[in-house]
This record gives sequence, structure tokens and C-alpha cells, in this order.
Amino acid sequence: MNAIEISHLRRIYKTTIGVIRRSIKEVVAVDEISLDVKEGELFGLLGPNGAGKTTTVKVLATLLIPTAGKVSVLGYDVVKEGNEVRKRIGFIFGGERGLYWRLSGIDNLRYFGSLYHVDPDAVKKRIPYLLELVGLKDRGKEKVDGYSRGMKQRLHVARTLLHNPPVLFLDEPTIGLDPVGAREFRQVIRNLQDEKKTILLTTHYMFEADTLCQRVAVINHGCLVALDTPSALKEHVRDLNVIELEMFGVSNEVIQRLRSQPFIDSVAVENRDQKQVMFIQSTRGSEAVPDLLNLLADVRVGRVQVREPTLEDAYVRLVGGDV
Amino acid sequence: MILGMIKDYGRTILAVAEMTVRWTLIDSFVIFTIFIQPLIVALLALWILQDKGNDVAMFVVVGSGMTGLWSGLLFICGNSINIERWSGTLETLVGLPTPLEVIVFGKCLANISFSLLAMAVSYILAAWFFGYTLSLNQPLLFVVSMLLTVISFISFGLIIAPIFVMNPSIQQWQNGLEFPVYMLSGFLFPIALLPGWTTPISYLLPPYWAAQALHGTSSGNAPFEQILLYWGILLAFCVVYYLLAGALFKKMLVKARVDATLDME
Repeated sequence: MNAIEISHLRRIYKTTIGVIRRSIKEVVAVDEISLDVKEGELFGLLGPNGAGKTTTVKVLATLLIPTAGKVSVLGYDVVKEGNEVRKRIGFIFGGERGLYWRLSGIDNLRYFGSLYHVDPDAVKKRIPYLLELVGLKDRGKEKVDGYSRGMKQRLHVARTLLHNPPVLFLDEPTIGLDPVGAREFRQVIRNLQDEKKTILLTTHYMFEADTLCQRVAVINHGCLVALDTPSALKEHVRDLNVIELEMFGVSNEVIQRLRSQPFIDSVAVENRDQKQVMFIQSTRGSEAVPDLLNLLADVRVGRVQVREPTLEDAYVRLVGGDV
Repeated sequence: MILGMIKDYGRTILAVAEMTVRWTLIDSFVIFTIFIQPLIVALLALWILQDKGNDVAMFVVVGSGMTGLWSGLLFICGNSINIERWSGTLETLVGLPTPLEVIVFGKCLANISFSLLAMAVSYILAAWFFGYTLSLNQPLLFVVSMLLTVISFISFGLIIAPIFVMNPSIQQWQNGLEFPVYMLSGFLFPIALLPGWTTPISYLLPPYWAAQALHGTSSGNAPFEQILLYWGILLAFCVVYYLLAGALFKKMLVKARVDATLDME
């Protein structure tokens, strides 16, 4: 059975421009997205900034009303039966907001427990379990004000599990966490998966989606561009190899020159401190390296590496190198 | 099922009220609004009206306490939704199974009840520092009037909180609404001293009827039938305002979900 059903979802934001001659500008955040998530599935929603991931999650969490389309959670319509949906879901959005910083972690959980209508005795028993689950057992009595970003994120998870909801929406939960914090957080998500919860996870980190999710959907500019298992998505780029080049001071002109070459499928550049790392997808693999170096004769090139494609490479191809 | 819902909401309201009181105790703005400002008002009034007798002193105690109630209602209850929005917790609250109006009710209950302490502080000031002998002539009726005052003030809070969210331009006039209501409601002097054209405006304000009931029962000057009339009008306002509040919250939440304004980010 499907826990989440999204059919032709469309969401438009309207903003007013100008002071004297005011006009309304429309931005299409989600454009005709349709997808289903099965009960007990951990489903990933991937896409660049502004792709429409958070908008989709907010519609599912009843925080936004869709402009068009039908969205349901566990059979309940998110617009007409919002309260039934809210009883059965938990959600967290990336970031530190949404908690009462002047209160301790335990007081936050007690407070939200009463707002979720959880029996006070049950809350008392559940708080130590949840604090242990998210690794905050020894810090629960401290004010949230003094928590690190990762601790606040984990307290959000505990908060959203107070009423033991069957469906969870986790919107970029590991954003801003240090590598150790992110790893601990992924373990929390695995634990939740073991409890057979339906989880919709949005993330920027392909490694995270690859290791955690059973299926992933890629959205770009509000449209669904792919939906499959991580391994099936990687098949899209099986014919390609990825050439990684470390470079210093690469210009847009050079990038455009590379993109115009017929043997190059896509080019993405990532800034890392003083240098840039260029990811080039090509069917020719290592054979393309001499031609590439000729094209980059006027650029200082460091380490060169040819490797097998990952989910990230599949993602880059799907969103058109838009990273 | 209905009993279960009442039990759930009752527990939620008490939990919200408890948390609100805890925040209140560490918020200097709230402490100033609820205690310090009414104390200044009481001090000034008692100083100006010194040697006017115990009845006048009691009028000042009740009236200055009511200024604390109104300021608490206007600034703290009025901003109760906006404060959650500014601190980033409104989305979390709206995504809960508890209706937002129940949460705001709990916050208003705490703030209004807490504001009653302003009256106690004014009493201490008048009795201890100015040496007045203060007594309540109809204590039982005064307590009932106080209870109705709290309920009617909460209903008023439930009206202005969503209005301030939907109309930021009205919220900008918040400061300007403080003193006119002190005067129009007859907190510190009878409205008969004001120009006649202001009287209909006073009649439309629940704080005016609350002030009448509290002043009438504390002084014992009003006959019981008149007190009953004040109570009836307060209750009528409550019914209208609670119904209106339900519609306003619904409208505000639909608008916020359409305009995507639950969060400031």
C-alpha cells in the first residue's frame, strides 16, 4: 500500500514587485509532480537548491496548500483532512529553528508531548528512550541555547518522534552538520527505518541517498526528471567514466570550451579552497585525458583521476550539470 | 469522544499556560508591561488623589490593575502568534494536531491571569505605602466579575492575535491603542468625564464592561441587577468574540498556507 500519493502537484508562489506600480510575479516551485511512496519505504527526494524539494515536503506536512493536484498521506487528503494527516506525521526542516531555546531539551520534549496529545505518563517514559536514540541522553537537562547545530537537529528528531508517527518527512536533516554528526544522524535514520517507518528524505548529499534510500526521485526546476532505485539511476551513466581534474584559476571561457566538445557529456566544477575540481563525464574515459590536457594547455592542472560513475554523477547528468 | 477531546485540550491549555508563565518570568518586557507600568500608573494616581479617601484608593487599585491587564492583552496576547513566527516555531506548531487557537488560548490564559498580579501589587502599594484601609464590599461578586473579565479578555486576545498577523499595518498602531482604551474603558476615572460622543465607543469595548463590574463590586455602589447586566454583556461579547476568533484563525491559517508566510525564512 502507498503511504504517500502525489498526483500532478503544482505549487506557485506569488510575490509583489514595486511600490507605486505594483505587479505580481509568479514563480512555479513545483510543476506537475506525481509520485508514490510505499509504506515502510525510505524514499529520497534529490535536487539542486530551488528545485522544489522543501515546497513538496511542506505541502505533505500540511504547511502549504497546493495550487493544483492531489496529495494524500495514509489515504488522507492534506488539504481537506489536514488534521488527520497531522496526527500521523512527523517532520523536521534543516536548520536550528523550531525549538524553544530558553528551555531545556527535556522541557521542549515535554511541551511538544502535550501538544501532540501524548499521555503525560507515556511522555515521561518516552523521553529517555528518544534522548538515547538521538544521542542526547546526557544533555537533556541543558538549555537548547547551548546546543550545537547537530544537537538541535537531533532534538528535532526526538521531538518529531514523540507521538510515534508512522510517516516522517526529513528535509535536509544533515545540512550544516560536521562529518561525525552527519554520520551519527544517518545511523538515527537507519534505526527509524528498522522500526518500519515511512520516511521521505530530501538531501543534497548523494552518498547519503545512495546508502540510505530504497528509491530516489530527482527533481529540477520543479519537475520530476527521474525516479528509480539508486542502482538503476547509476545505470544511466554506466556508459560514462568520470575524469576528475584539480585546477587553479579556471575561467568560465575554459568551461564553455570544454562543454562544446563532442566527446564530453557534462562538466561540473566545485570550488575547494584555493583550487577547483572539475568533474567531466565522457564515454571515452581515460582515452579522453590527453585531449582534455591539450584543451587545458593554458590552465594549471594538478591531479588527474579517472573513476567509475556514482549516484552523484547520475544526478549531475539528470540535472544537466547544474551544480 | 468529546470528553476525551476536552480532556486533551484542557491538558494542552494547562501545559501551554505553564510554559508561558515560565517564559514570562524571564522576559523583562513582559515584567515591565504587567508589573512595573501598572505600578507607575497606580503611584501617580494615588499621589494625585491623595487624601480623597479609601473608596478612591480602591478605585485606583482596581483601575491600575486593569491597565496591566489591557497592556498584557494588547502587547503579549496580541503578538502571541507573531512571536512564534519570529522565533521560527510557528510552522512546527501549525503542523501539530492541536489547533493553533487552543495554543493561543493557553498563552492568553497565562498572560491575563498573570497580569492580575498587577492588581495585587497596586493593593500593596496603596495599603502599605499610602496607608489606605482597603476593603472589597462584595468579594464574591468581585471574584465572579474577575473570572468573567479574564474570559472576556482572552476572547479579545483571540481576536487581535490573528488580526495582527493578517494586517501588519494595524499592528503598527499597537502602541496607540494602549492609553485610549485606558481612558475609554474608565479604568482610572468615570467615562462621564469624557466628551459625550466617546460613550458609544466605550460601550463597544469589553474592557469597559469589565471595569464597570469590577469597580461596582469593589465599591459596592452598583445594585446587583446592574452587576448582572454587566456580566450578561461581558458574556455576550465572549460568545460573539469566540465565534469570530474561530473564523479569523481559519482565515489566517488558510491565507498563511497559500501565501507561504508561516515561516520568516
